Amino acid sequence: MPEHERPDPAGRLSIGRTGVAILAGWLLPGLGHALLHRIRRGVLFGAVVFACFGLGVAYDGRLALRDPGQPILSTLQLGANLGVGPADVLARWAAYGRPAYALSGVPGHPGSEELRKSFRNRARTGASNYGTAYLWTAGLMNLLLLLDVWDIARRGKA
Amino acid sequence: MRSHLGHLLSYATLVAVFFSVLVRRDRREQWRLFAWLWLAMVGGALGLAYLMFPFPR
Repeated sequence: MPEHERPDPAGRLSIGRTGVAILAGWLLPGLGHALLHRIRRGVLFGAVVFACFGLGVAYDGRLALRDPGQPILSTLQLGANLGVGPADVLARWAAYGRPAYALSGVPGHPGSEELRKSFRNRARTGASNYGTAYLWTAGLMNLLLLLDVWDIARRGKA
Repeated sequence: MRSHLGHLLSYATLVAVFFSVLVRRDRREQWRLFAWLWLAMVGGALGLAYLMFPFPR
């Protein structure tokens, strides 16, 4: 067995295995915990994140688009959305017809105007603010879960 | 669901479940933290709303 594959006496995983668990947790919320033998916790976390995400999509939460006019704020919002993993791509497909992540900086750009219109139409519905809070919370929860996976894998956290 | 209260209750429940399981390992401690978080979010929001009630829009 290569040295980097050998189990650590303190029960810590190698960097490679930790990376795989973190990637799995991003691809499917809760899977990172399940791979580290925390199956019940993984299932519960996955259910909570997907419930939050589902409510966000159902209530027309704003799927952030990077806007050159507000680069910092829109990038942070996009980061919160992306935290939930590939489910975000599917939601963008349903909302915008394609996995769109940014508006063009060129004024009057046809693709960007269409996106802006879809974005504003979603924001106009009465429950959109609630939906946005659910979406951001789902993404941020999953980012916290990835940190927890790191903690469990590298520090041997119980 | 168009009820503000309904959203408050569902959001508080999801967030309280998440954090209680994330930061506590013992089942009893998890329930205790869940109750604290849920009551803080729901009670805090209702308390703030009550305090704002006398003020006009």
